[in-house]
Amino acid sequence: MAHTDPERLALIALGEPGTDDGHAAGCPQCQEELRQLSSVVAVARSTPEPVQLEMPPADLWSRIAAEAGVPTEARGTNGSGEIHELRDVGGAGAAGGAGATGGVDGASEVGGVGRAEGVGRGRTRGRVWLAAALIVAAAVGAGIWGGVHALTSPRTTVVGQVALKPLAEFPQWSTARGTAVMATGPHGNQVTVTLDAPDRAGFYEVWLLARDGRSMISLGDLGTGHTGTFDMPPGVDLSTYSRLDVSLQAYNGSTVHAKASVVRGALPVSR
Amino acid sequence: MDSGADGGIAAAFRKGDPDSLARVYQRWGPLVYTLARRALGTPEDAEDLAQQVFVAAWRSRDTFDPERGALPAWLTAITRNKIADQLRARQREAARVQGATQEAVQETPTLAPDDLDQVVNRIVLADELGQLGEPQRMIIMLAFYTDLTHEQISATLGLPLGTVKSHIRRTLLRLRTRLEADGGTH
Repeated sequence: MAHTDPERLALIALGEPGTDDGHAAGCPQCQEELRQLSSVVAVARSTPEPVQLEMPPADLWSRIAAEAGVPTEARGTNGSGEIHELRDVGGAGAAGGAGATGGVDGASEVGGVGRAEGVGRGRTRGRVWLAAALIVAAAVGAGIWGGVHALTSPRTTVVGQVALKPLAEFPQWSTARGTAVMATGPHGNQVTVTLDAPDRAGFYEVWLLARDGRSMISLGDLGTGHTGTFDMPPGVDLSTYSRLDVSLQAYNGSTVHAKASVVRGALPVSR
Repeated sequence: MDSGADGGIAAAFRKGDPDSLARVYQRWGPLVYTLARRALGTPEDAEDLAQQVFVAAWRSRDTFDPERGALPAWLTAITRNKIADQLRARQREAARVQGATQEAVQETPTLAPDDLDQVVNRIVLADELGQLGEPQRMIIMLAFYTDLTHEQISATLGLPLGTVKSHIRRTLLRLRTRLEADGGTH
């Protein structure tokens, strides 16, 4: 008998119902591969949600650099030697596939963030936000719902998925992208958010944003993996808090939104 | 994908490029710090330990042999050793205090070796998940943490079934490779 298809083995390792063809149990080779893949799944599921890596405190780098006797800033940065500039050097380097030459771009991006955060006043902001929400709503209307409604899972059902997009008002985040998937299961509604955005000093925080564009409820932080699954707070009127927003927050103890939105989108809920 | 960039950092580090430690720290600082934080509990101990790890790595960079393993695996091994040292020191201190006072003292937080393996595995996995691009990351997140089948994931994300299946397999293999290199079990 032929060996189990490798892709099917991966699904068996995930415990997906109806995938086990009965072959692996009697085949040492397939069994060994299945054991290895299953051990990965076991580590991943040893916590109910993905583990979030923690950012070290900002001053740790300068202590390390001082003790090791290396410069606190990499060549090509212009600035104060803060670790957030080093982070940006690496981010630009990784994106371009050439870490050693990313310094100047990284440093200038930091400057861009600082300048642009002051932008955005009054009614302009409201219109841009509204436009972004309409674009997202159009994307949702374009067909995602049809596929989603057909889903039937005994315990967890995805009820909606939506792209999170940057706002024109915050050009420093123009390359950021995100996805939000809403699922309903035994523990109520959960939204899983993933963000494609550069590593920056601070952390990304996910918010429910009300229609008035002002009231917000924090859902929690995205870790360094830029992914998080959050319980939807019970009792919140989702027709009012109808949008998701991601901000970059500084480690300064502030519990309010840092003003600059990274990405935003309509909350994917069933209707 | 990222192994190319990470490899460049490792090569510069091996050569002793003074800027390279910053890049090593920027890339793997959260990994080392989170390992220390979860194993030791207090932020202060975790910061001290992470500092020891990066300083020790820098001073012994000559002993890092890329032929024998990737840089994050080497850093993780240093971190594990220092965590184990710290936990042993805590146990000795607890025993000393207990011996001196002849009464049970409040339990010092310690971690059995098996538990440390589990902590390392979880955090190394989280680090590798963070390196995935899209749609690989979203696919594997849904596969791990929801009960969706691959067909449902395909429908949800609007991706072909074959793409979802091949991403699931390749991502599991990638995670397995990383866990074998850095993880708590070998």
